[in-house]
Amino acid sequence: MGERTFAEDVKQLGYGAGQILQGEGILAITKAVLQSGVSYIGGYPGAPVSHLLDVMGDANEPLLKPMGIYFEASGSEAAAAALLGASLNYPMRGVVTWKSVVGTNVASDALSHVASAGVVGGALIVIGEDYGEGASILQERTHSVALKSSLPLLDPRNSLSAFAHFVEEGFNLSEVCGQPVLFSIRIRAAHMRGTLVCKDNIPPKISMRSRIDHAVFNIEKINLPPFTYAMEAQKFEHRLPAAQRYIHEHGFNEHRPGAEESIGIVMQGGLYNTTARALALLGAADLYGASPVPLLILNAIHPLVPEELCGFLRGKRRVLVVEEGMPNYIEQQLKALAHDERLSVEIHGKDLFGQYGELVPYVVVSGLKKFLTMHEAATVPGADVERRFEALTAHRAKLGAILPTPVAKRPPTFCTGCPERPVFSAMKILRTKQPEVGDTHVSADIGCHSFGTQAPFNVGNTILGYGMGLSSSNAVAPLFGKRVVSVMGDGGFWHNGLTNGVANAVFNKQDSVLVILENFYTSATGQQHNPSTGKNARNEPTTMTIPQALRGLGVTWIKTVNPYRIGEMLGTLRRALTTREGGLKVIIARGECQLERQRRERPLIRKKTERGERVSQPKFGVDPDVCTGDHSCMRVNGCPSLTLRDNPDPLRDDPIAHVDASCVGCGVCGEVAHAAVLCPSFYEVKTISNPGPWERLVGRVRMRVIGALAGA
Amino acid sequence: MADHRIVSVLIPAVGGQGGGVLSEWIIDAALLAGFPAQSTSIPGVAQRTGSTSYVVEIFTRPRAELNGQEPVFCLFPVPGALDVLLAPELLEVGRAIEAGFASPSRTTIISSTHRLYSIHEKMPAGDAIYPREWLEEAARTFSRRFVSFDALALARANRTEANAVLLGALAATGVMPVGVDSFRKAIEQKGVEVAANLKGFEVGYELVRRGADRPAPAGSVAKASVRPEFAAECAPYPEPLRPIVAEALHRLIDYQDRAYAERYLRRLEPFVAGDHDPYTLGGLVARHLAVWMTYEDAIRVADLKTRAARFRRIETEHRAPAGQLVITDYLKPDLDEIYGILPYRLVRPLAAFAERRWPRGRPTLGQHVKITTVSGFLRVWLLARLRPLRPISYRARHEHALMAEWLGAVEQCLRLDYDLACEVARGAQLVKGYGDVRRRMVAAFRALLDSVLAAAAIDPGAARALAEECRTLVLRGPEGEDAASQTAGRTLERLRRSVAGSVLQRDRLPSD
Repeated sequence: MGERTFAEDVKQLGYGAGQILQGEGILAITKAVLQSGVSYIGGYPGAPVSHLLDVMGDANEPLLKPMGIYFEASGSEAAAAALLGASLNYPMRGVVTWKSVVGTNVASDALSHVASAGVVGGALIVIGEDYGEGASILQERTHSVALKSSLPLLDPRNSLSAFAHFVEEGFNLSEVCGQPVLFSIRIRAAHMRGTLVCKDNIPPKISMRSRIDHAVFNIEKINLPPFTYAMEAQKFEHRLPAAQRYIHEHGFNEHRPGAEESIGIVMQGGLYNTTARALALLGAADLYGASPVPLLILNAIHPLVPEELCGFLRGKRRVLVVEEGMPNYIEQQLKALAHDERLSVEIHGKDLFGQYGELVPYVVVSGLKKFLTMHEAATVPGADVERRFEALTAHRAKLGAILPTPVAKRPPTFCTGCPERPVFSAMKILRTKQPEVGDTHVSADIGCHSFGTQAPFNVGNTILGYGMGLSSSNAVAPLFGKRVVSVMGDGGFWHNGLTNGVANAVFNKQDSVLVILENFYTSATGQQHNPSTGKNARNEPTTMTIPQALRGLGVTWIKTVNPYRIGEMLGTLRRALTTREGGLKVIIARGECQLERQRRERPLIRKKTERGERVSQPKFGVDPDVCTGDHSCMRVNGCPSLTLRDNPDPLRDDPIAHVDASCVGCGVCGEVAHAAVLCPSFYEVKTISNPGPWERLVGRVRMRVIGALAGA
Repeated sequence: MADHRIVSVLIPAVGGQGGGVLSEWIIDAALLAGFPAQSTSIPGVAQRTGSTSYVVEIFTRPRAELNGQEPVFCLFPVPGALDVLLAPELLEVGRAIEAGFASPSRTTIISSTHRLYSIHEKMPAGDAIYPREWLEEAARTFSRRFVSFDALALARANRTEANAVLLGALAATGVMPVGVDSFRKAIEQKGVEVAANLKGFEVGYELVRRGADRPAPAGSVAKASVRPEFAAECAPYPEPLRPIVAEALHRLIDYQDRAYAERYLRRLEPFVAGDHDPYTLGGLVARHLAVWMTYEDAIRVADLKTRAARFRRIETEHRAPAGQLVITDYLKPDLDEIYGILPYRLVRPLAAFAERRWPRGRPTLGQHVKITTVSGFLRVWLLARLRPLRPISYRARHEHALMAEWLGAVEQCLRLDYDLACEVARGAQLVKGYGDVRRRMVAAFRALLDSVLAAAAIDPGAARALAEECRTLVLRGPEGEDAASQTAGRTLERLRRSVAGSVLQRDRLPSD
């Protein structure tokens, strides 16, 4: 399943002690999970942790089943968090994963409850912190969730062995303190390639091969008063202190002393690599990370251990905190601690780095330069730091003169052949050609289809969360002069949209139009299975369908459309927006994710062609002498394979449209030209490989006749 | 330790270009050669064609010498401390330079010169492609060495992949601590399309080793030549105009007939006679008039669609004989285009009615014509035979009247200011498209003529600036059209007010 195959990775997950695993950070985490004796694994896909679920799906048959480990791709992050309920009463270890901060938000109801009751079996939550460059979601960090729910939060240094070590220690920590533990990994770290020396996998004591016989009832674990008061007290009297002790005794945080006594740097473990490189570039460290400046690397950023911090602060004049995102909890805690302990140390952090944004090398180098040149340090001469910083950044001044206007942006868009693109083409055409109906409010959603809000469509006025497209239109619809539209993918529909969207809208008698883009996978995160796939993550067949679910909720106006037929799509949209029928009207635009389809069909076509069977392959083209270069097609399509080329006509200047070799023949360009009445430049060419003798003959005769009539 | 360093490589790619495999080859080669190395990526929405980047770092000290020490690798490229920028696409080089990564003292830039245009370059109605010269100049300025060639074209010619060609180029620059054989071994080890990728590697390697990677300097395109069959006829024309006029004659005879071409020459005549070296205005009128006079009516489209040359072109592109191709044309003329080819006298009442009845978007006749079948071909081919009707058609009357209006405006402006006349001549660039698009563009063009002529009567300099601004705005697309009409309105009002002001002043003068 999924857009990558993991045969090699699955093999590595089975490695025993001493074998060397080669792969990405997330694979090392996955391996360490199996080395920790877990009984169950779950989660919801999302970059950068989708891989954990994808590879587990492929590992289920060969690896997990024989070990008796239960694996599921959960219906949502909330369902995944609730899985941890298994560790509440029973001494079994479990791991769940999702993308944060959005996934954590979805999960937080269950998460708060698990965190309140506490666990007896080790519970680990691997969160993919999708923050900074390349992030596809809003920018918040998960730190505050750890603080409010008293969840220990690990943010380990970036190396595969550190990841594995802290996964294993995370389970221990969880059992010692009785709280689930958050394990945070950033995008680049998840995709970092390196090596790991493996240990043997440990089969769980409680498993599907060795089940629990008796239900444990402990009233004190029920999240109801008065026990909730006792749970709160426990958190602060027992659980967090136990966590601090374990963190301290097992050396989670690394103190690296240095010759320079008056200053020091405290950092999140995940920022160590960038900080070490920045120090090296400024002449304050070598390439192995050895620095005269004392460093404190916090691989556990919650709870902090006051003794460790005080020990580091004591005797220093200035300390810098390298911490990402706001609020700057670590910096604040350090300042409070210094105040309480009457330490005369200046604590810097956000004042030198700026308040928000990812701590990329340029930001870190700039902040460190300011810190290191504040006062003369004996081992790190300020002038030297200044000179090195200058050498690194001087060239930036010349940029404006050479690139006078910003380089054109390249927003992500629908893949070539995507079935979702034509839906937005239809919506844009309707908006232009019939504004009294089509130029209306559109509530977009999360998924590939959120690209509909980008150029060239710019369809979609809000994005408010996964599966929230419909519900986010509920107060707009009754107060808007035209019927409004909301958009949802099948992933979002099954995740949250069915209840919070459809049930809510039907219950409240909403009169609006919902467009569901059903492409059979949760595509944006890598074509994971969802109920529309017809198979779950373990490849077991399922029978849920969107129309059945809708009918069950009382929706009666349901139309399923082939989105590639833009005329039909356009007509259905128009009907939904103009019909006198009240209530929710649902259009299901049904077409398989083209990436998945190509991945499946390409090898088949190649094989068929090689076997000498007849194969017909469509592609599209533009007649260069018919295209006048007005680019209207680009403004309602945006297909990557529909591009520009120099005008071959010596009398014209403007580039003309051109379909490049990556075309998969979906026909949207031709359909768009047709539906929007653009131009006659588009044509489809079906190339017939291995035609039969009759077809060959007919072809020859036709071309003879045509050749005789055609001019030059 | 001083002699050891970390070599860092940034691969700024576009989703789906194989940047991932390229970075894996590099790290595998480094590990095979015994160097510690690490890579990472920001795939983000990589498969969905956005910008994406890969980072590889290699420590130049072999692992065998490290005695258990571990270098600290960084997961980000560091601006100003980048050794290699290896780009499968040219715009991404610009983006990396813009972000400050490349530095003149340290970075080697290796880039394919081909472009994948961003949607923002594709959408405007004119030419909005980010200037290649700027990108190349930036790459030269912000690098120790700039190696560039069209990796995609080379890959296609050699039936291999562009990323393999780029890997070969990287190996040949000698900036990596890794030997050439390790790269070859990395390709073999990966085990995917080994023969093709090795071939690509050698192509790139040889190219750079021979030093044949210099991009052709801009502007070296061969000078436009004069079509020989019209050389004699064009001889009396000033030299810069000859290739244009020859091309125009060829086009007009092909479009209609000799008489039509002569009509063109007569129309062009005054703009050449009154012009002088370098014949900017003459050239503009010659070019735009030829394109306009060969406007794409249904007959023209039918003619272009049924030519043997078209079938030959498609055969070559798809590497199959026409007998094995099924070509379907997507044709959807609207009512204007259908009655446009009929005689003016016949359809004038109908046209008047249609314009009133369907002011926005006329009815259409959509059809998918299988032009590789005899019946499909005949349908279109017969339409092309209506060419003799063209001179008396409704559309011809309409188009030629508008052309006359345009030429009249150019002439009128020429009396005021040469540059203004040139700018008005350039305005004809707006007349393009089919159906609704063309009606919209023509409307924008007429609005431009009206406002520019009104402005010219007051201040020719301001009128020229206005013409240029309006043309640029309209070429940006539909949003620009509204902006153009607003700009025109504002400019005219300003000009009128200033005239009114100066008149008042002049009136007051005697009494002062």
